[in-house]
Amino acid sequence: MLGKIFGIICIVSVFFGIACGNTGQLGSAVIDGASSAVTLTLALLGMMCLWSGILNVLKEAGAIKKLTVLMTPILKFFFPDAYKSGVGSEEIAANVAANLLGVGNAATPLALSAMKKLQLQNPTPEIASRDMITLAVLNTSSVSLIPSTVITLLRSSGSENPFDIIIPIWITSFTCAAMALILCRALGSATRVRTIRSKDYKSLKTQARQ
Amino acid sequence: MRILEYIALMAVPAVVLFAGVVMLFGGKNYFESFIKGAKEGFATAVGLLPTLVALLAAISMLRASGAIEFISSVLKEPLSALGIPSEIIPLLLTRPFSGSASSALFSDLIGNIGPDSFASLCAAVIMGSSDTVVYIISIYFSSVNIKKTRYAFPLAFVVMLFCIFFSCFICRIWFK
Repeated sequence: MLGKIFGIICIVSVFFGIACGNTGQLGSAVIDGASSAVTLTLALLGMMCLWSGILNVLKEAGAIKKLTVLMTPILKFFFPDAYKSGVGSEEIAANVAANLLGVGNAATPLALSAMKKLQLQNPTPEIASRDMITLAVLNTSSVSLIPSTVITLLRSSGSENPFDIIIPIWITSFTCAAMALILCRALGSATRVRTIRSKDYKSLKTQARQ
Repeated sequence: MRILEYIALMAVPAVVLFAGVVMLFGGKNYFESFIKGAKEGFATAVGLLPTLVALLAAISMLRASGAIEFISSVLKEPLSALGIPSEIIPLLLTRPFSGSASSALFSDLIGNIGPDSFASLCAAVIMGSSDTVVYIISIYFSSVNIKKTRYAFPLAFVVMLFCIFFSCFICRIWFK
């Protein structure tokens, strides 16, 4: 993915550099860009250390587990199949909790093991089940209580009040996550039966042929 | 509104305080947990450097070439009708694919036009409330060999477009 992005950016740059007559600046721009990556890393380094450390303390003190319990009633409604069977529901709740706390490196493995467990329950192993889609879509609308990277970047480029951004981020991310969950629930109920039936029908048909 | 501002200001100190209380009364040696996590954070940040070097070099070249200005000027009219500042277009184009590329563009943007400008604030809200749609969905489903993702991509993109629009809308109201 990154290779493609890099390639596209380079081709577009050289094309526009020639078209706009800015080729002379391209060379220095490459050097400045590479140096600014070091500045950016330095700006992020301290906060990333501190925040990962603090989140690890919360994690080991059981914060993810406590949040998991708190969220069960809500998640039960949006992941009906997983909670009905009890398979994968723990991982789903822990994934949402880890995302909320901002423990990104814990959230992804949890989501992947939840996917694995949901796949065990999936009657159509090539087609995504509704709970799988809900989990994936929910993870794409990142809901985290403290957007530490954004705040750090704002602060490092000289913002006086980098924390002002927290409330707008909360409002937006909760609205988007709620919208994602509700749409997933609605679409999941509307399309589920038909998909499984047509799949069953197809497999019956191929079985009959054989 | 005052209370909300206070909560926003206290969010980070509150979490730090909570970790401090855990370290003080938690029973086991939680400072060790802190060090373990901090080392991981350090490794992540340093490990990102080579990626960021490549991306920021490319982005810097893109800006110097005049391409960003050109694309922004073309899309300025239709986007400003939706309330979306044209400066954030490059960020919007990379956000669904790569977290590090969009972080690089975000820091490039706020370094250029200042962290308090309207476009920077919109970009910050978008960065904080959306994620790498294409990357996440493809990783999740390919990990369990699912080929048909049904409504996952269209829905995730609808939510993301709404998120972009809504972020700018909220910024317009919030930072008057």
